[in-house]
Amino acid sequence: MTKILVVDDSSTVRDEVAGFLRKNGLAVDTAVDGKDGLGKLKATPGIKLVISDVNMPNMDGLTMVEKIRSELANHAVNVVMLTTESSPAMKERGKAAGVKGWIVKPFKGDAVLEAFKKMAS
Amino acid sequence: MISSHAKDSFERIFRQAAQSRLTVDPNDVCDITPLARDDENVDSEGDVVVLTISSIEFRLILVLHFKEDSSTRDYYVREGSDASFQEVFLEVCNLCCGAMNQSLHEYFPDLGMSTPYVLHARSVTHLDQLKPAYLASHAVTINGTVQLSATVCVCAYAPIDFVANVSAAQETGGELEFF
Repeated sequence: MTKILVVDDSSTVRDEVAGFLRKNGLAVDTAVDGKDGLGKLKATPGIKLVISDVNMPNMDGLTMVEKIRSELANHAVNVVMLTTESSPAMKERGKAAGVKGWIVKPFKGDAVLEAFKKMAS
Repeated sequence: MISSHAKDSFERIFRQAAQSRLTVDPNDVCDITPLARDDENVDSEGDVVVLTISSIEFRLILVLHFKEDSSTRDYYVREGSDASFQEVFLEVCNLCCGAMNQSLHEYFPDLGMSTPYVLHARSVTHLDQLKPAYLASHAVTINGTVQLSATVCVCAYAPIDFVANVSAAQETGGELEFF
């Protein structure tokens, strides 16, 4: 059963993050932007953690989180942003939308694996 | 409209971002040398990756020129990976511009950054039409074999004066900050 959803418009990032998590025994699905992520979350019960980029075409990551909380009324799923963005204003918007954590790229899997495992359990 | 301190700061911020993000391994050697824009050093063949950082005071355009030769492809695309060179290189450029964005946030709180996009390299020759207040091109050589070039173009909408303390910038990427 998929427990983690990785959302990023870059296939390089999707492959890197999903590949690392799968190698460490976690079940992962991927989505190419916020709209796709929202659809996958709606269609896949049991997702416990969403790892998402911010700047993406069609629907950005923060809008996706706002819709997860409002339209899907899903307050249980943990969301972590993985992005080049580091502005306090952007983080505040994420925090207000219910984002649990923020990672500034590049992705360093070993630094976050244990936290991801806890959030996905 | 851009002070000499600010021009120097944009230059140093670019250099730090390029050295940390255009390299795959922190131990790789990244040489950055200025290219004169009034000669034929700025290649107009092939493609470039373009990203912008926008604020109320300025718009910065970062242009990264690449040649998809075997040494460049082998350097960036991991062995056994199915990913295309362009897809991998777009993300490398995204990280480089993201590092510049993070450094600039220390001095300009209202920044927004684009996603990367690909244009023909001929576009670079038209940057002068934007009447930039700062325009500089650099040759970037990694480990003596991978050759890229980069152009930083800043259009100012207000006087810009700041001194970037890039030596104090901390490498914080990859850490999870809990809310």
